Amino acid sequence: MKSFYGLLIAGCVVIGLTACANKQEPVVDPVVQETPAEATAPEQSQVNEDSLAALERERLEAERLEAARKKLQEMMDRVMSEDIYFDFDRSELTEDAKQLLTQVGEILNQEPRFTITVEGHTDARGTEDYNMTLGSARSTKVKEFLSAYGIASERMETISYGEEKPKQDGESEDAYAKNRRANFRVNVK
Amino acid sequence: MNKSLFLALFLSMTMQVFASIDTIAVDVGISVFKTMPIGVVPFSEPSGTTLDWPDEKPHEVAERDLNLSGRFDVISVPKFDLVKLSRARAKFYVTGKIEKALNNKIKIDFYLYATQSKDLVLGESYTVSLIDSRKAVHDFIDKVIYNLWGVHGIASTKLAWVSKIDGVKQIMVADYDGFHRRQLTFDSTISMMPAWSPDNERIIFVSFRNNKPQLYIKDVATGTQKRLFKKFEQTFSPAVNPKTGEILFSAIIDGKTDLYVGDPETQKTRRISFLKSSQTSPSWSPNLSEIIFTSDRGGSPQIYVMNSDGSDMRRMTFMGRYNERASWAPTGDRIVYTSMDDGKMNIYTCAIDGSDIIQLTSNSGNNERPSWSPDGSLIAFSSDRTGSHQIYIMRRDGSNVTRITKGGENTAPTWSWYPIEKQVKHNKEGKQ
Repeated sequence: MKSFYGLLIAGCVVIGLTACANKQEPVVDPVVQETPAEATAPEQSQVNEDSLAALERERLEAERLEAARKKLQEMMDRVMSEDIYFDFDRSELTEDAKQLLTQVGEILNQEPRFTITVEGHTDARGTEDYNMTLGSARSTKVKEFLSAYGIASERMETISYGEEKPKQDGESEDAYAKNRRANFRVNVK
Repeated sequence: MNKSLFLALFLSMTMQVFASIDTIAVDVGISVFKTMPIGVVPFSEPSGTTLDWPDEKPHEVAERDLNLSGRFDVISVPKFDLVKLSRARAKFYVTGKIEKALNNKIKIDFYLYATQSKDLVLGESYTVSLIDSRKAVHDFIDKVIYNLWGVHGIASTKLAWVSKIDGVKQIMVADYDGFHRRQLTFDSTISMMPAWSPDNERIIFVSFRNNKPQLYIKDVATGTQKRLFKKFEQTFSPAVNPKTGEILFSAIIDGKTDLYVGDPETQKTRRISFLKSSQTSPSWSPNLSEIIFTSDRGGSPQIYVMNSDGSDMRRMTFMGRYNERASWAPTGDRIVYTSMDDGKMNIYTCAIDGSDIIQLTSNSGNNERPSWSPDGSLIAFSSDRTGSHQIYIMRRDGSNVTRITKGGENTAPTWSWYPIEKQVKHNKEGKQ
């Protein structure tokens, strides 16, 4: 039911955007396809045709780049949103973690320009010192998995933050569980 | 064989834990456990003017020093009171006289008297600015302790710790009693794990300014700083050798943490641990021939000892699943460390062979990162028993717990060494 409403809303948004595109030159939103603008271009007067065509090519090129950038950004965001969670005082990968890492590995395979930094974290319990080694062990386990998946280890760096960068403050089990993680930072070569 | 040994060890540990509840006479190291009653009488002030003391009056600073030392019970009397002091068995009392001096300074005369005879045992005179009056009191109280106990007091020592300021961990330095606080780092990134250079003039610490944990050394007075041991990407857990200034530290290489020794001047380093597991939290023995550290080779963090070249390694802790961050008493006889039980951190000490375990903190939140006072009689630590992390000082037996910070979040206290002039004296005496 919920997803049906979701679809409905998404549909409305698309219709809204298309309607909008028909009314004005839609340079504001490069995601929307602008076939109407393309179709009308040859009908312009001869004087303006060449420069308009050049402008149009430029605009299309910019759009293509923008779309590529967006796609890249989406992929980066996806990688960076995939936090890998661990059990207390453990650095072994859980089955869930392995599934997520397979997806991350797939993205890294698709996009060879990506290099990643794997950041290892712990919850607040335990000493700062030991948690530095634990964070390191976690980020290393992630790197090893991706390495076995076929990602060159030169593309991956590991850093331990120990207990210093909690995702969620507090002393609840929920907060602890969210903080026992490895996450990714993505750089594009 | 192993089982019976373990059982015997376990029994002796349990017994010791019980023993620690009701007795303080277990330890035969230095006798800080029997306190000496001592009188404190307010100092006479110049008539006609009121002095604008920065925080506490000299006799209040003296009382705080005497109480914090763990060696005295202060008997406060508003003026000399032979009956009250005698009844409290205070054989000595401290008082003083304050006069105005030139250049906005004051002259403080300190006296240590024998209560019954009113003989002057010790007298010292300091001409200082009001702001430096605490320093004068600290110095005098250290002399009182030397006179009555024959050891150097720690009233002139300092503490470094980590404070959260605007959400970012920064290094603070202060007098050991928490006064004269000063912020040492001002980065937008985390600074942590402070350690003192042997002359107490520089702090070695971990900074995340390059998005990685890396050791830096910073001059307390001038603020000059540099990165240490640049050939390593990730370094932390610094521990200073008070004789040579060499730094023990942990470095992460290929996901594994190992121990190294480095010279902050030449930046030369050498590896000293060669296990498959990860090693961290190194600390020197007082005679600098051994190193105590944590290894997870048994699957959980436990404390081990080895010679300073990495040879002859042996495990020290067997009780509990999480024993970490050990540090050897300057007196050589005890090890203090943090243990986790039911997710809570608590501070323990044990003999240097791992036996005779005494739990120093319990039922009061998390208690961690113990640091010895240079005389080995006190332990600074952080606790969240009040709901926020604050710095506390206690005696080496866990008694006389005194909070020295309030407000904010304060963690990781690290005691300075003796002031350099006392270090020299100390060494000379040691040789005699």
